[in-house]
Amino acid sequence: MRTGLHGASIRGRIRADAGPLLLSALVVLLVSLLAGAVPGLMEKTADEAVRDAVQRAGNSAKITVSARWEPDDTLNGRARLPRLADDVNDLRLRALDELGSELQAMMRPPVAAVISPTLKVTDGSVLRTFRMAYLAAGDGPQVTWTAGTAPAAPADDTAEVGWYAPPWRVQVGVSETAADLFGVRAGALLKVADERGNTKNVQVSGIFRPVDPADPVWAEAPWLLNPAADADGAGTTRFGGLLTAGSLPDARLAFGPDELERTVVFSPDTTVLTWSAARTVNATVVSLQARSASSNAVDTTTTWRTGLDSVLDEVTAQVETAEVHASVLLAAILAGAVLVLLLAADLLVRRRSPALILARQRGAALTALGAELLAESALVALAAAGAGCAAALLVTGGVAWLWVAPVLVTAVAAVPAYGILHAASATRDRKTPANRSARRWARHTGALRRAAAEIAVLVAAAAAIVALHQRGLGSGLPVLAPTLAVIAGAVLLVRLLPPVTHLALRWSLRSRRPLAVFGTAQASATSGRALPVAALVTSTALASFALVTAATVDHGLAGGAQETVGADVRADLTDDAAATTDETARRIAAAPGVTGVVTGHVTDSAQIVADGRLVPARLVIVDSRALTGTALTGAQALVRSAGDALHEGSIVDILQPGKPAVRLTASGAAPAVGGATEVVIVDVTAGLPAPPNTIWVTGPGATQATDGLTVVSRTEVARSRRAAPLVAGLLRLTWAAAAFLLLTGLLGFALTAAAGAPGRWLTVSRLRTLGLTPRQGRLIAAGELLPVATVAAVGGPLLGALVAAMTTGPLGLRVLTGQVTDPATVLPWAVLAAVVALFLSAVPLLVRVEAALRRRLRLAEVLRVGGPT
Amino acid sequence: MTALVSVRDVHRRFGSGPATVHALRGVSFDVEAGSMVALVGRSGSGKTTLLNVVGGLDRPDEGTVVVDGDEVTGLDEDGLSRLRRERVSYVFQTFGLIPVLSAAENVGAPLRLARTPAADREQRVALLLELVGLSGHAAQRPSEMSGGQQQRVAIARALAASPRLLIADEPTGQLDAETGRSVMALLRAVVESEGVTALVSTHDPVMMALADRVIRISDGQVDA
Ligand SMILES: Nc1ncnc2c1ncn2[C@@H]1O[C@H](COP(=O)(O)OP(=O)(O)O)[C@@H](O)[C@H]1O
Ligand SMILES: [Mg+2]
Repeated sequence: MRTGLHGASIRGRIRADAGPLLLSALVVLLVSLLAGAVPGLMEKTADEAVRDAVQRAGNSAKITVSARWEPDDTLNGRARLPRLADDVNDLRLRALDELGSELQAMMRPPVAAVISPTLKVTDGSVLRTFRMAYLAAGDGPQVTWTAGTAPAAPADDTAEVGWYAPPWRVQVGVSETAADLFGVRAGALLKVADERGNTKNVQVSGIFRPVDPADPVWAEAPWLLNPAADADGAGTTRFGGLLTAGSLPDARLAFGPDELERTVVFSPDTTVLTWSAARTVNATVVSLQARSASSNAVDTTTTWRTGLDSVLDEVTAQVETAEVHASVLLAAILAGAVLVLLLAADLLVRRRSPALILARQRGAALTALGAELLAESALVALAAAGAGCAAALLVTGGVAWLWVAPVLVTAVAAVPAYGILHAASATRDRKTPANRSARRWARHTGALRRAAAEIAVLVAAAAAIVALHQRGLGSGLPVLAPTLAVIAGAVLLVRLLPPVTHLALRWSLRSRRPLAVFGTAQASATSGRALPVAALVTSTALASFALVTAATVDHGLAGGAQETVGADVRADLTDDAAATTDETARRIAAAPGVTGVVTGHVTDSAQIVADGRLVPARLVIVDSRALTGTALTGAQALVRSAGDALHEGSIVDILQPGKPAVRLTASGAAPAVGGATEVVIVDVTAGLPAPPNTIWVTGPGATQATDGLTVVSRTEVARSRRAAPLVAGLLRLTWAAAAFLLLTGLLGFALTAAAGAPGRWLTVSRLRTLGLTPRQGRLIAAGELLPVATVAAVGGPLLGALVAAMTTGPLGLRVLTGQVTDPATVLPWAVLAAVVALFLSAVPLLVRVEAALRRRLRLAEVLRVGGPT
Repeated sequence: MTALVSVRDVHRRFGSGPATVHALRGVSFDVEAGSMVALVGRSGSGKTTLLNVVGGLDRPDEGTVVVDGDEVTGLDEDGLSRLRRERVSYVFQTFGLIPVLSAAENVGAPLRLARTPAADREQRVALLLELVGLSGHAAQRPSEMSGGQQQRVAIARALAASPRLLIADEPTGQLDAETGRSVMALLRAVVESEGVTALVSTHDPVMMALADRVIRISDGQVDA
């Protein structure tokens, strides 16, 4: 070759040093796969998370547009407006227009709906309820009439109804399913009345069958097709009457002027909604709501309502937290990888030391040596990185080069850099300075340089931690905080180890056990090598950090579920069912396996003034002794606040429409109730109207006992949150990072052992000529490895746990665990003990392997001139 | 006088097939107790191989070696370890000191292995360091000493556990002539004072002159 590099010799050397090279290649491959794929996977997971959150949010993620009707009052009464269905359609088109094209693309076609209030069926003993609905979406929903006819307008379609006329007749269609269930026939009159007891005149004109029951339009009023159990309280069954364009005007006349609402509902299309679109969607939604007509406007301006913005806000916060967490873990992975690559390079250069020095003595230029080493390491590193990136590309369709770069650069440059330094220093003309002060000066400058580097690491770590605590987790320095803190801790341990082993040597010299002396002597000789100790401690500490994070998230998810539910199972009852709550609670309490039942009234966004400031909060009116264990007086409240709006001692006024406010004093801290940030808990004796609408049930039988009610169960909430894409993805990445870092730790240990092996076994051989048995020789070899292993095995996990404890607060894990406050750090003792055991048991294993590799090397050969290689 | 060492018809081959090196071809000789024997031969003649076999660091393919009444060639690993601990010691061309231990600790190492009480050990180490003229260097590490000094420490260490046989393989090989000569003289002197039997391989004519007997070896065989 023209360059003078011999391909053959490179290939030969690669074969000779296959071990460390393969190892470096493996590390580069794994890191380029992990680091290359994670950002892409993160993007995918974020998309999934957005869809998942929107799907879970259900109705609250829908955008509802409503507008008042044109007034229909005349001098003597009300007029039948025959074109009402057109008005509804107009609203649909108007809403679509106002939505804007960008949002239109993210939403399914709008459904216009007019739904009546709930009526009670008054003819039987069973609790049946009835609602009428008109649905319109383009040309749907399609039905076929299996009996009777479609509801139609009366002959006089512009009639006027006097104020005191009898109830106006409305024709509805009933689904086949409901008709079969309740024995309703075409032409039948339904006996229904509103909650004030006013009867309505509803006639079933026909029985219908939906052409496509899966048409999303039906989702706005599913009870039109299938009667719904418990929709209006336990034991109730709701069924529906379908209105048509013809009978809609009659339905309006059957109710009060504003009792029937016309709405248009947009459901997010989860097949097209993406993470990157979520932000623009959110901004548009917020502005639409802001432009809405206020609720007492008398014109027909649209009013926009949706929970989509808060759903997206929440998922955005989650995605951002998860992304930053992924970066924290990737930084840890990179640190572990870079350090183990440096160890591999160090070993390689040690092995080649004789050849390098020889080449140098024969006059080879440093640049030529460097170029040859560079060609070799570039070949290995690029091949491995290529394979890893190709795999990442296959998995995610992209590669995050920024994350792959540091490892690639290290893998390519470390060996040539070390090699040049080694060859240069070994063959430098300048010998150790002869005079004592010059020698001391050289030593001092070396020590100063090292101290400066260490101080730089400590300062960087401190700055990162401070930034993390002050600014919270964002991009940049705070992301590096855990990794830098661990490296700083490792640097301190590196400093600590030599004096400790030195002390151990001094102590063992006084002992009577010869093996202790030789073992500690070996240990103190090698414990001064900074890189291995730093690399091993960093790997095990970061692995432990990941394990602690995983445990904390896991535990936090359980805690978050407890906060959300407040018991093992919580039953939320509709206002209609509240009348039977106490009876239901008694029934549940009597069921086997139920240890506690508490009923209460929960109001979200209650109007509360605390110390003169309006603080919308969740108001819980409950038997305080049953819920919290301490009884409150009627003038006391427990409060909880994310900020300081509500605190002990606050004067809390609870506003009630049309009644004087109830004034209470905050006497203590409230427990979390259902994930609300602001909570006020008031005793039932406070004099607020409190029909209980919530039942909290604890005990192993809680789920069975609440069968048939709409319930939220703690285990179910925890399970579904854990299965949510972001949390599941992040936990997977955390475990992968822990596994990778444990692997780099073990590889690093093997490399460290391999680098020290020649010296170690030469000493063992020398000791064996003094009469040491082979077994004693292995013990001494183990003694040399033990300090490094112990520092990595014990110091690493302790350091990792410490760093986790310092950083989990600002890492904002609560966003992922669904807790109100950040979770407390959880130390998985069993897992950490396994890490300790893993590294300690690596010592005898490595010694056995090293001894086995040298078994065929006889003492006689070891001690020949030149020693072993 | 009785023979402390007796070597009978020892063969040692390295490698196999056509590349086989026949390093020792039927070597036999005796060494009388309390004598100092110089083993002389050209480089590659088999001196090191022979010393390794005699000292139990290597095993012959054929033949027997008896040291102090024990058949070395029949001992297992533990037996060989005990032999080295109690009766045979070595001085190597490359000194073979433990780098992290001071001169005194290096000399005391065999005594630690023999579990000699600390007071006795310290006394004997001091005596031996004085014997080899290094009393003032007890606390120094090998790396802080000259080659000659290191070899003196190695000799003191070899004598520490009062072995019956001291085997030295070209002990002056890495030393300049002057230093080598003084090390040789030291060796001769300690053999006398400690009453140890010594088997020393060398190129050095001075050593030959100092020895009680010279065994010449060439091509793996003892010259008649
Ligand atoms: N491990 C070995 N493998 C192959 N040949 C060996 C080995 N050890 C020694 N030899 C050969 O045995 C012969 C004797 O070597 P050695 O005993 O070292 O001689 P000396 O010490 O006299 O210089 C030499 O030819 C040497 O090359
Ligand atoms: Mg030799």
